[in-house]
Amino acid sequence: MTSTPLAQNQAITINRPSATSVGTIVWLGSEVMFFAGLFAMYFSLRANAPEIWANDSQILDVQFALINTLILVASSFTAQFGVFAAERMQPRATGKSPLKWGLVEWFFLSYILGAIFVAGQVYEYAMLVSEGITLSSNSYGSAFYITTGFHALHVTGGLIAFLLIIGKTYAAKKFGHYEATGAIVVSYYWHFVDVVWIGLFLIIYVLK
Amino acid sequence: MRANYLLWVILTVFYAIVTAGYYLWWTLTYTGWEPIGTAALAMLTFMSAFLAFYLWKTDRTQGTVPEDRLDANIEDGESEMGFFAPWSWWPFFAGLSAAMVFASLAIGWWIFYISVPLGILSIVGYVFEHSRGQYAH
Repeated sequence: MTSTPLAQNQAITINRPSATSVGTIVWLGSEVMFFAGLFAMYFSLRANAPEIWANDSQILDVQFALINTLILVASSFTAQFGVFAAERMQPRATGKSPLKWGLVEWFFLSYILGAIFVAGQVYEYAMLVSEGITLSSNSYGSAFYITTGFHALHVTGGLIAFLLIIGKTYAAKKFGHYEATGAIVVSYYWHFVDVVWIGLFLIIYVLK
Repeated sequence: MRANYLLWVILTVFYAIVTAGYYLWWTLTYTGWEPIGTAALAMLTFMSAFLAFYLWKTDRTQGTVPEDRLDANIEDGESEMGFFAPWSWWPFFAGLSAAMVFASLAIGWWIFYISVPLGILSIVGYVFEHSRGQYAH
């Protein structure tokens, strides 16, 4: 077939997805498979010791974990509102009402909610350790702490990322696409961590 | 981008069928179910769906790219590929301190206390590289 350069027919501007966003998505794809390994570990340990699971998973405070889960899910929504603010290039609040909040205010709120979640995890760990479930107590303890612990490390990483984006926004005299892209990819990561937690919550606290 | 996301949609359907097939084959042949393969295949389905969703959404917001058109030439696809920092040393130090953090878990905790501050320093340097000094904007 014959081909003619497109530029002769029409003026096209090629708008490719930003390399930062594509790179983040590829990395999150590999993170999915990292958590696949943790899920596989959890299920195979459980399949080998159903009686330990039946006994030890009763100690879990499902109501407490559910409230903590809702806090984390809420933080995903507040992070998304921050992204909407970044997309309209609004770094700071223009008024007191949350409707007028900018990226910084929404990300601070997301940070606080995420920090409450991690603090709740720490409290839950302390309660479980006091009841005798530790990393080395049995296979249930190992599976519980390794899966939820790696997730908590990811949440902590996300909290640091929120702070770095907030810092970058304060450092910018002129808020532009460079700052907005950072905020958007951090929100991708945060949503991912949130979805992984919903999976973990269903498997560990609901299915038991 | 249509071909890109369709490829991942095909993979999603494929892995969904394989996951169900693997689960059924095992439960019918042996007792119980086999968690490792089932979890890995289920998460592959999830990963493919996730990438398909991202590419589909990107396709919707940015429209047709020359790769989608049969009448396009190679040079039509030429555009800015992204923003890179060719002389930055920060990724090197970020990688080095991350490697030291992980090595500390195997060798000894004392390395951890040295490498974590270095890691914080290099991440902050990396993130703020284009927001300070001569790049401040």
